[in-house]
Amino acid sequence: MKDLPKSPPELPAIDPERRRLLLGASALPLAAGAGLSLAPTRARAALKTSARIVIAGSGLAGVAAANRLARELDGAKITIVDRKEIHNYQPGYTLVATGVWPVEKVSDRNADLIPPGVEWVREMVAEFDAEKNAVVTDGGRRIEYDFLIVATGLHMDFGLIEGMDVAAIGRNGLASVYPSPQAAQATWQAMDTFRQKGGKALMTLPATPLKCAGAPLKMTFMVVDRLRQAGTRDQSQVSFHSALDNIFSVPRINQEVLERWKKLDVPVHFLSKLVAVDIGARRATFASPEGERTQHDYDFIHVVPPMRAPDSVKNSPLSWKQGPFAAGGWLEVDKETLRHRRFPNVFGIGDINGTGKGKTAATVKKSTPLVVQNLIDVIAGREPSQRFDGYTSCPLLVREGAALLIEFDYENRLIPSLPAIDPLQDSYFAWVMKIRLLKPAYMAVAKGRV
Amino acid sequence: MYEIWLTLNILYELGLQYLPVVIGTALLWLVLMAVAAARGRAGWGAALKPAIAVAVVVTAITFFITPGMTQSSFANMGYWVDWGNLLLYAAAFGAVGGALAWPLAAMMRRA
Repeated sequence: MKDLPKSPPELPAIDPERRRLLLGASALPLAAGAGLSLAPTRARAALKTSARIVIAGSGLAGVAAANRLARELDGAKITIVDRKEIHNYQPGYTLVATGVWPVEKVSDRNADLIPPGVEWVREMVAEFDAEKNAVVTDGGRRIEYDFLIVATGLHMDFGLIEGMDVAAIGRNGLASVYPSPQAAQATWQAMDTFRQKGGKALMTLPATPLKCAGAPLKMTFMVVDRLRQAGTRDQSQVSFHSALDNIFSVPRINQEVLERWKKLDVPVHFLSKLVAVDIGARRATFASPEGERTQHDYDFIHVVPPMRAPDSVKNSPLSWKQGPFAAGGWLEVDKETLRHRRFPNVFGIGDINGTGKGKTAATVKKSTPLVVQNLIDVIAGREPSQRFDGYTSCPLLVREGAALLIEFDYENRLIPSLPAIDPLQDSYFAWVMKIRLLKPAYMAVAKGRV
Repeated sequence: MYEIWLTLNILYELGLQYLPVVIGTALLWLVLMAVAAARGRAGWGAALKPAIAVAVVVTAITFFITPGMTQSSFANMGYWVDWGNLLLYAAAFGAVGGALAWPLAAMMRRA
C-alpha cells in the first residue's frame, strides 16, 4: 500500500436516505416553478492521499466513481480502464426497442463524462492479478494499484442459445433489447413489422441473474400494447417462457404481473428455457429442467440471453468460488459494504457484483456514493462506514403512456420513496419519469453529483 | 435535502438538454424587463393581474396538452400523484408565461 495519511480529515457521513430519486423527481415541477438554479458542484473537504486507484470499467458505475473520487481525494492517482468511447444509456434501450425513443437519445461520449485528472487507459482489463494488486490489459499493459473498483459490467452469453446470431436481430422476427442501441433499434423494427399483421410472439427469460430484470416484462407488456394499437391483438398470441418458476424475484410484483398478464391473455410457461433458435425457420426450442425439448414456431421472438461475469472476472481470484454466484463467476463482495470478501482493497459496483439484487442504474445510483465513501474510509484507515440495503427500482412500462414505479431491496420489500406512491398503480407520472426525467438523473449520477 | 439536491440536478441536466431554449427565454425576459424599465412609468402593479391571467391560461393549456405531448393521455392518469404532478408541471410553465407577460403588460399600462 502507498503511504496513508496519519491524521485524515473528518469526512462527512453520507445521507443514508439516498434512495429518493422518485421523491426528488416528484418535486421537479415545483422546483421548476420556483425558478431554482443550480451550481454543478458541492464544496467538500478532499482527503489528501497518494493512493493509486484503478477503476475497471467506464459504464455508469465506473464514471460515477471516478468523478466522485476525483473530487473527494486530493493527490490520488486514479486510472480508469475501458476501451469504450461511447457511453450508452442502457435504461433507454427498452424505449428504443418499443418505438418510444429514437436511438440517438441513448448514446453519449465517454470523454465528456470522465473527469480531468483521471487517466483513461483505452484498453480492456484482461486479467485481475489480485494477489499482486495489479490488472493486466488486453494490450499487455500491467497497472498496479493500491485500491481497485471493479465495475466491468457483465457478459451476455448469446452463445449458449444454439443458432442465435446477434447480427440477425431485426430480421425474421428476431428481437433482443439487450445487446446494444442498434439491437434495440432493430428490435423495434422487428416489433413494428410484426404488429402490422400480428401472429405468434414468444417472450423469453433465462435462469441467470439479469441486468434490468424488468426489461423482459416491459417488452411483453409493450408488444401486447403495440398489437392492440395496430388492431391486430385479436389475431395474435403472446406467450412468455420463463426458465425459472417465476418471472420476477419480488413475490408481490411477480404476482401482480402474472395477474395482469392473465387479463391480457398472456400465458406463462414456467421452467421452460430457450436453448435454440432456428432464425430462418422461425422456430424456437425450449428445454425443461429434465431435458425434455419442445419446439414452437413464432412470428416474433424476444431473446433474453443468459448472463454472467466477463471472463476476466470469472477466471480471476476475485470471483465467487462457491455458493449461488459461483457459476456465473460474479464478484465476491459483501452485500452490505460492497467490499470484496477476501481482498479488502477491492470494491465492486453495478452489474458485476455477486449480490442478490440490483443490476440496474438505480442500484448504481444508490451504491456508488456508498462505495466511494467506504473506499475513502479504508484509505483513511477506518472500517467502511456505509451499508447498502440492495435498493433498486424499475419503472415497469405496462403500456404506452403508463408505468408502475417499483422500488425494492434485498429482502424483497417494496420501498417506495414517497409513501404516496403506490408501486402497483398504473401511473402517468411513472411514465413521464421514465421517458423524460430519468436520463437527466442518470447524467447527474454519472457526473458524480447525486 | 437530498431530494432538493437531486431535483436541482435533474433541472440542471434538463436545462443542458434544452440550453438554447433556456437561454433564449431568459434573455427574452431580461430584455423585456429592461425595455419596460427603460421606457419609464411602467405600471408594474397594474400589470400583475393580466400577468397572472396569462399564467393561468398558459397553465390550463399546458395541463391539457402535456399528456399528449408525452406520448400518453388523460386515460393513463392513475391517481392523485399523477394529477398533482401534471398540475405542478403545468403551473411551472404558467409561471414562465406569467413572467414574460408581466413586463409586456407593464409597458401597456404605464402609470
